Amino acid sequence: MKRTLTICPYCGTGCALWLLTENGRAVGVEPVREHPVSRGGLCVKGWNAAAFINHPERLKTPLVRKDGVLTPATWDEALDRVVSGIRDLQRLHGNDAMMFASSAKATNEENYLLMKLARAVFGTNNIDHCARLCHSSTVTGLAQTFGSGAMTNSVDSIEHADLIFVIGSNTTEQHPLIGTRILKAVQNGAKLIVADNRLIRLARHADIHIRHKNGSDVALLLAMMNQIQTDGLADQEFIESRTEGFAEFQDSFASWTPQAAAAITGVDPSVMADAARLYASAKSALIFYSMGITQHSHGVDNVRCVAALAMMTGNLGREGAGVCPLRGQNNVQGGCDMGALPDLYSGYQKVADPLVRDKFAKVWGCELPSNPGLPLTHAMNAAHDGKIKGMFIMGENPALSDPDQNHAMEALKSLDLLVVQDIFLTETAQLAHVVLPAACYGEKDGTFTNTERRIQLLHKALEPPGEARADWEIVCELACRAGCQGMNYASTAEIMAEAASLTPIYGGVSHERLTLAGLQWPCPASDHSGTPILHRENFTRGKGKFIPVSYRPPMEEPDADYPLMLTTGRTYFHWHTGSMTRRTHLLDREERRSFVEISPIDAASHGIREGGRVTIVSRRGEVTAFARVTGSALPGVLFIPFHFAEGAANVLTNNQLDPESHIPEFKVCAVRIGAAP
Amino acid sequence: MKILDSSGLTDFLATVDREFNLTLPVIDASGCRIYGTLQAGTPALHGGALLAKPTSLFFPQEEDVHVEGGGDSEPPPEKQLLAIGFTPKDLLCLGFIDRFFSDGFRDDIYFRRRQGALIAAVSGYVGADGGFIPPAFGNCDFEFIFDGKNWIINPYSEAGRGIAALIPYDAPIDALSQVMAEVERYVDEDAAIIKKASQILMADLVPDSFWEEIAASCILCTGCNLVCPTCTCFGVRDWRDADGFSRSRMWDSCQLDGFAREAGGHNPLGTEALRTRRRIHHKLAADMTKWGEMGCFTCGRCDAVCPTGIGIVAVARKMVERFQHNLS
Ligand code: SF4
Ligand code: SF4
Ligand code: SF4
Repeated sequence: MKRTLTICPYCGTGCALWLLTENGRAVGVEPVREHPVSRGGLCVKGWNAAAFINHPERLKTPLVRKDGVLTPATWDEALDRVVSGIRDLQRLHGNDAMMFASSAKATNEENYLLMKLARAVFGTNNIDHCARLCHSSTVTGLAQTFGSGAMTNSVDSIEHADLIFVIGSNTTEQHPLIGTRILKAVQNGAKLIVADNRLIRLARHADIHIRHKNGSDVALLLAMMNQIQTDGLADQEFIESRTEGFAEFQDSFASWTPQAAAAITGVDPSVMADAARLYASAKSALIFYSMGITQHSHGVDNVRCVAALAMMTGNLGREGAGVCPLRGQNNVQGGCDMGALPDLYSGYQKVADPLVRDKFAKVWGCELPSNPGLPLTHAMNAAHDGKIKGMFIMGENPALSDPDQNHAMEALKSLDLLVVQDIFLTETAQLAHVVLPAACYGEKDGTFTNTERRIQLLHKALEPPGEARADWEIVCELACRAGCQGMNYASTAEIMAEAASLTPIYGGVSHERLTLAGLQWPCPASDHSGTPILHRENFTRGKGKFIPVSYRPPMEEPDADYPLMLTTGRTYFHWHTGSMTRRTHLLDREERRSFVEISPIDAASHGIREGGRVTIVSRRGEVTAFARVTGSALPGVLFIPFHFAEGAANVLTNNQLDPESHIPEFKVCAVRIGAAP
Repeated sequence: MKILDSSGLTDFLATVDREFNLTLPVIDASGCRIYGTLQAGTPALHGGALLAKPTSLFFPQEEDVHVEGGGDSEPPPEKQLLAIGFTPKDLLCLGFIDRFFSDGFRDDIYFRRRQGALIAAVSGYVGADGGFIPPAFGNCDFEFIFDGKNWIINPYSEAGRGIAALIPYDAPIDALSQVMAEVERYVDEDAAIIKKASQILMADLVPDSFWEEIAASCILCTGCNLVCPTCTCFGVRDWRDADGFSRSRMWDSCQLDGFAREAGGHNPLGTEALRTRRRIHHKLAADMTKWGEMGCFTCGRCDAVCPTGIGIVAVARKMVERFQHNLS
């Protein structure tokens, strides 16, 4: 039995775990008591992180579509087909007819390489990853207000807060080992406000639980700020010395008294006022938020409001006071940090800035395109319209994870070249022309960056199955075949060394320095010990900026034809499109089939009983699922997880985007429901 | 009895490593204390119970029970297993599951690994922060007892005596006098709490509302079950591929809904409160009825692993605080 220290492949909490192997097989997991984040705990997904590794359905050889059928092929054949396919379509339609989708599941090194491949080798900035679908609103919104789109504090800060405000995050299910820290803080006397209309576990422990309507966050947050201002609870000193734009911003909330907001939020004004007072009276308060804030057509405005609330009360730049967007995937923070974004290189350096471009061009030894690329969500539309002709997708499954599934499937099917690099034959891979088998987290080394900006080292525990290779090795091989000399690396440490040299916030990071506790960026120099708390003396951008917002309703609201609101998300036992968790016996057993949460009132009025089969219909399509009648659901609102291909929530969702972050409105659309025949 | 100083201990471990397939607590390159071989790190007998359960040597998280067609069968181990690092409480847990896996039937898969394995306990002033762990004085092949300065090696079985004989230094006759005096003074608070909680449960004095309150904090991580050396429940998984078919078993957890869910979907333990009650009731009351002893030896692991502070001792303490006055 061998134990290898590595990092959990599921959520952005970034728990360390020991991966146990015996005779070349993954046979178990042990928690790591000494790890600063997980402290010897794991959630059920972490405890089961070994179970899918040796699954018989792992991809073991490259596949190439021949006569319409995916057929085993050699690496030579598959890679040549990829390179010549990309070159051919770029020759015909231009470099920007190709889109690269990187992966928040892959390592920093791999994300860095794929963005280098797209930009330096194939000459396009069309590179993005699933952060587009989760926290692009944060990256946009917090970059404008604070200068950095990342969680301001560490998980450890929870112990120093006397109030925690959780909005739009089911933390104990989606970031379980952060949720438990919050629970423990509450046991130790911290106050808790939860704003979420589902009766999530944290809500059972909350001092105030706000069940506002989906899509009314701006109204709720403005009302809280209005009350704080009226009560004189704003931190004038902080506003004056550390921020700008407050005077103009006040117009945003001036008319939003809790009474005025009640019509939008559906919440008793006194509850909103109490929450405002409780939050503003705390000495140190942390805000945690996640997809409930970001996945809206006004996601950036939501984020601006969250940031404004914290700035207005001086809750930033200190232990126990901050704004904590919880990043979903194990390495979605790193995917962004490494520049798998259409307008940014690694370290959030702008593609549009000629000095930055020069710097990268010099080190990479090539010309670089200057026009920003397409966000993933737009690329899917462009593919649908025939403007994007080819896609290279590394470790993502948009066929199931993108909004309006029928639209996404049509787009993917219309491509002249679809290359998918993954560990299983996902719904997207099934549509591909070439499938490249990849190594999973236990079969490679590299780094992941967790939600608190902690860069952590993975260690390889076992060999990939069959001929599968690590993503970074595949990308290097592709570059080489495409005639690029500069992408030969002996190890992932070498890749990090190059990335660090070009990325100031990672400037002092090297694999050698990464001990169990990792390093939290910014870490600009090799003698810098990392930064647990951002914006201490100054904001990254200098002064914190209040940016005016105005309330906009969701793009689609219930009406006579589609009278209910649908919201989507994940369950505790599954991860995204289920390619790993649905192949994990215990997790699969816990949650076998697609379900819809419905309140007892709605269930009764629609003649739906617990466990009964129901049909849910939106303007985009219809799915069937099994009813879960629960008081956890607010009357008028349904919840469906998006894991299940056979009851795919994203058949229903609305592909309407935030104008600035281009995030789809996964959290709100209008549907009707009925018992299935 | 033999005696070793710390450098003597290092040499001794190197010697037995040549003879046996040695596993023991080590500190590895990352600074973490884990079970491993001498090649995986430096020996770390101090520090008390490790979070991972030592019984996983015989009942691992996942193992094949049947493989048909392809797949290599496991090569038999070359050397006999010598497992150092059980605490005396861990030995009681091991005895509990040895009985479980052999009571009325013999679980071949368990004994495939368990048979012939040598077990050595570690006790004395070796607890976390130098705390005292009363020696087992039995239940294993031999024991390392730290008296604050030296290691006393105390053999209990034939095999243990054989291994101890490799050490040239006999311990003085009164080598354990200080340890024995400490044993006299030692009060095991956790064990006392658990015993009282067991009486409260057996007398049916805990209302449902208590379990609802506790379960409200449970995030269903399953850690409490998976680290517990007396937990023996497993699930069965079948995998089929081009080469054949394999069946393996893996640890399961009674905190999960699927654990007791019936094929038709009904679940007699269908709420978190019922399942939390069941986990604790099983160990403190049901096992008393079945085996005449509790299924918890207060090894400390579930309290250490539970991310929300509701391990068995913490829950027992609450139970005692609230309900002991009802105990006649
Ligand atoms: S909390 Fe997240 S990182 Fe930790 S074990 Fe669970 S899924 Fe993995
Ligand atoms: S303390 Fe917990 S882990 Fe240890 S034997 Fe008792 S129930 Fe099991
Ligand atoms: S360890 Fe704690 S949180 Fe995890 S399943 Fe057990 S009681 Fe629940």
